[in-house]
Amino acid sequence: MSLEVIRSGAKALVVDLGRPSLRHLGIPLSGAADRMSFQIANWIVGNAPDAAAIECALGGQAFRFTAPTRFAVTGATAAFSLNDTAIKPHTHHLARPGDTLTFGPASTGTRLYLALAGGVEGAAHFGSRSTYPLAKLGANGGRALAKGDTLATGPEQGAPNTLPTGFAPRLSNHITLRVRSATEYEQLTFAAQRRLFTQPWTASPRTNRMGARLVGGELSLEAAPDMVSSPLLPGTLQVPPDGTPILSLVDSHCTGGYPRALQLILADMWLAGQIGPGTRISFNRCLMEDAPAILATQTALWQSLIEGWQP
Amino acid sequence: MLPTVRAFGDRAFLLQWPTVGYSEAASAHALSVSHHLRGLGVFTDVIPGYDSVLVGYDPLRMDLLAAKMRLETELPIVPRTFTLGMQHDISVDYSGPDLDAICQSSGLSRDEVVHLHAAEPYRVCMIGFIPGFAFLSAIAQPLRHSRHATPRAHVPAGSIGIAGWQTGIYGLDSPGGWQIIGQTDSVMFDPDREHPFLFSAGDTVRFIPS
Repeated sequence: MSLEVIRSGAKALVVDLGRPSLRHLGIPLSGAADRMSFQIANWIVGNAPDAAAIECALGGQAFRFTAPTRFAVTGATAAFSLNDTAIKPHTHHLARPGDTLTFGPASTGTRLYLALAGGVEGAAHFGSRSTYPLAKLGANGGRALAKGDTLATGPEQGAPNTLPTGFAPRLSNHITLRVRSATEYEQLTFAAQRRLFTQPWTASPRTNRMGARLVGGELSLEAAPDMVSSPLLPGTLQVPPDGTPILSLVDSHCTGGYPRALQLILADMWLAGQIGPGTRISFNRCLMEDAPAILATQTALWQSLIEGWQP
Repeated sequence: MLPTVRAFGDRAFLLQWPTVGYSEAASAHALSVSHHLRGLGVFTDVIPGYDSVLVGYDPLRMDLLAAKMRLETELPIVPRTFTLGMQHDISVDYSGPDLDAICQSSGLSRDEVVHLHAAEPYRVCMIGFIPGFAFLSAIAQPLRHSRHATPRAHVPAGSIGIAGWQTGIYGLDSPGGWQIIGQTDSVMFDPDREHPFLFSAGDTVRFIPS
């Protein structure tokens, strides 16, 4: 055992890179919502990019170390302190047994990542320790972390690393997501298609890892036949008949029943993982020929620093 | 008939069969295509729907045109039919909270609704929504009923529901908007079992009133 949960805040979960390619069985991707911040945190403490770590929503969590542990915090902007001393994100620290790590509220972005050297241990299902509470999959009995839960870490995986200046991702409370159209885009009226790209949207208070309802005006649909349940991906924007679009995120249902208007490009999925209640979102059309180049450039940059980095 | 092949974002294609309502032929063809494409091992996701298949590819390994050409090369050689998989007899207690609503809209008695729902075997057309949720083939016309306008916050695992012409079984406790007519003790999904999923797409299910 090396960590005890003192306060779990709005939500804290064990995450890794999740369960890809199982959507035909109803198993969502899960794992870190912001895969970029998550993999950076692991790299800083010397872990493989897919080692399990802790994702904390909105800040406010507190943890007590019960063994000497190297750790790093990335993701949303918040004040952190080890005991009563303020510490910095995006660098490694060494905690002694009895030390308490406290997160203040997140001011920019939504999800913080706490990586522990050696990675968090716990049960794996379908090759991943990521907690998916609906199906009770992953570490900690498939439950979100609660006060009193304890977590163990594995043996150290490598030497810690120092993030070069300028590499820490900059977050914002008004994000622009690049999108391609999905297959039912034409079912939106011309006015709705225009509105999608010309005004900012605000994630509703019920936003979570499954998805975000986006408030900002109704999107009307052309009269269209009822859709049968059909596949979705993380980053699909659906438009239900009430006109309030729903953006699916990492824990989203694998099928939906509403017209699919947009699909986020893969390179921007990490940014969507920082969406929380109140986040402002604008959509920007990504040209067909640009999307692969954006992903290739992003991947090459991060893989030059972090071996095994995955978009 | 071959499905249309359309880009879905920057990392998937949607294969879509033109259907109105449930089409046994489209569902069988979609399952056969899914089985074939998954076997190739070159696509990241192969997700069958009732009348569509979402096929994901890794844009770092395959470009859009190469992925589209591969799909268009494979589609004509896939058999149009799909040999059904396992057969399951599922014991159902038909006393769900929405059974009376189905009786009212159909004008049938409880016994008649149960008899009609359990009369014919169903095909498992897709698994999705949540782990283990089984979407089954179309129900008899009189039983068809729209979803609840506001979903229930809690539908227990094993609930048998109706939504439009679809019928299905909830794999887990979850929120849900389907009209619930019955309940089974069979466990659709248990991650700690050797075979976590009771059903696979293509299986046949017969409901046995208990």
